[in-house]
Amino acid sequence: MRELLKNIVWLEDDNPVLFAWHQKGRAAFKEFPTKKTEAYKYTPVSEALTPEMLSATAHVKEGHCDHGAHHLPFDAYEFCFCDGHLHRHFHESDDIEVMPIDEAVKTNEIGAYFAKIDLAQYPFAALNTAFLKEGLFIRIHKTPQKPIVFLYHNKNGGFKNIRNVIVADKGVKAEWIEMFEGKDEAYFLNIVNEIFVLNEAKLTHHKLQHEGEEAVHIALSDAHVKEGGQYQSYTFEKGGKLVRNETHVMLNQENASARVNAAYDLHGSCHIDTTTNIKHLSENTRSDQLVRGVIDDKGHGVFQGKIHIAPDAQKTEGYQIHKALLLSDEAKVDVKPELEIFADDVKCSHGATSGDLNQDEIFYLESRGIDETSARQVLINAFLQAAFDGVENPDIKNLYPSD
Amino acid sequence: MTNKQPILEIKHLYAGVAGKEIIKDLSLTICEGEVHAIMGPNGAGKSTLSHVLTGKPGYEISKGEVLFKGQDLTKLKIEDRANEGLFLIMQYPVEIAGVSFMTFLKHAVNKKRAYQGLPPLSAPAFIKLVREEAGKLNISDEMLKRAVNVGFSGGEKKRMETLQMALLKPSLAILDEADSGLDIDALKVVSKGINDLNDGKRALLIITHHQDLLDYIEPDFVHVFANGHIIKTGDKTLAYELEAKGYTDFIKEASCESC
Repeated sequence: MRELLKNIVWLEDDNPVLFAWHQKGRAAFKEFPTKKTEAYKYTPVSEALTPEMLSATAHVKEGHCDHGAHHLPFDAYEFCFCDGHLHRHFHESDDIEVMPIDEAVKTNEIGAYFAKIDLAQYPFAALNTAFLKEGLFIRIHKTPQKPIVFLYHNKNGGFKNIRNVIVADKGVKAEWIEMFEGKDEAYFLNIVNEIFVLNEAKLTHHKLQHEGEEAVHIALSDAHVKEGGQYQSYTFEKGGKLVRNETHVMLNQENASARVNAAYDLHGSCHIDTTTNIKHLSENTRSDQLVRGVIDDKGHGVFQGKIHIAPDAQKTEGYQIHKALLLSDEAKVDVKPELEIFADDVKCSHGATSGDLNQDEIFYLESRGIDETSARQVLINAFLQAAFDGVENPDIKNLYPSD
Repeated sequence: MTNKQPILEIKHLYAGVAGKEIIKDLSLTICEGEVHAIMGPNGAGKSTLSHVLTGKPGYEISKGEVLFKGQDLTKLKIEDRANEGLFLIMQYPVEIAGVSFMTFLKHAVNKKRAYQGLPPLSAPAFIKLVREEAGKLNISDEMLKRAVNVGFSGGEKKRMETLQMALLKPSLAILDEADSGLDIDALKVVSKGINDLNDGKRALLIITHHQDLLDYIEPDFVHVFANGHIIKTGDKTLAYELEAKGYTDFIKEASCESC
């Protein structure tokens, strides 16, 4: 692991504010997690990283971004990151305030909404802080007329760090979509999102991950939800060589709620890890998690789901379920649910199942003239789409698998 | 009758499941426009015949021949048997969570069209077609939006099976009611669907235990099935004879006649 570390070219920014963050992140980052690190025992990231991924920082000519092929079927506030670099042209709007993260951290605007993650505990957040430069700070003042979309296009190899901060102000209802697409170069994308849902606000966070086959994608979304606020997270993953998608939600005040749903569709020797940590810190909070995975070939799926209920968080409800379809003999899934309950008046449950496609269902479809390959696909899509049943916006729902 | 084209020709068929031979030396020819009923006691292996014909995994033919419109049915894949015009109205249709009936029907209809070299139906044309057929069977839009058979009553399931048959217009429909309880209302709907479809070019094979079923769909031929094959063939009156005597005595007598 020391070998890997040697390949990192640390950032040394002239700006004292950024420099201070870089120093702080670097001091907190000890090493890449291995199998021996409990939180990463199923997903030893260090084994997937190569010196080449770390030594080069991707280069893209300023102003040149050929995200070309992508056409969203609806109107949106679009922001594009090409190989980790923010493509700087912003939409003027009364609804949302937008600032590049390297500028935002120098202002008072971002104030209480930055660096709320314990860097000693989360190595990739520490590493991300050590490379703080690219990313966006978005403050949603009013309910926007259209969704906010971040497109991440990864063409070249190298190491890419992105840090975003999203604040949904009191009472707003907003949709934020992250879309990742990549070519088959080996790259390492390390992204951290800090999310703040203020009183009675509702933020729906969508993530569609379709990275290239050689990509290592590490993402942490850390959401704080205030009184009556709702954080909804929907994730669909089907790319990358090794992926860790980690979601933390702090239900800080009464009546705060979270919905964290995810589905993954694994082929080849792809490894996708979905890790959640939902903290109920106040009374009358609620969380629901529904995760579904389809694993084919030599794919490896991981689900680690934690629900923590603090002593004061009475009358809370926390539910979690993971279902996996294993389509080949070599497909593998590791599931680790954890409930930490310190209050007595709570409703809490977790469940996990795994199995193959139902042969009777396949036969039924075949007996109606549908060939086996199509029949299997119909059933796989039906299985995956259950994670997206609750998506209200039909345009966005269409981005996910459907029957 | 001699001018009628055969749709299904079963010649000296031996077949079974899990190494156990259930059908032994079965021969049967069904021509276009004909309604055949196979009757027999519970556990005689009547359902095995419908499974063998549709190609259900696990069922194997050890000897004999099955021709469907002149071609070797056993060489066709399950979906191709369906696309060639074989349709099984299942005894217990499978429930498929997450797949709406509309989506399922669209796949089925367009796969058949593709098999026939036709382009897929446009969404409006497809919806119009389904609504038209569904209306005849008292199937609401709400039912079509629901997941395939999930939470449907036995009668509703049969209606949905009949809708699929109406859309796919098979050459041979097999109504397998081998050992399910008889739901008269469902049966009326199915029989109406079958009668609407019968333009003299299609055929129907009913597999049943109950004589009552034949009051709704009148068979041209009744075959009594025992010991893995047909022991006696007659017209509709044979069903009444069966009813009067009961299977045990009837089979005993019939076996003696043949010896």
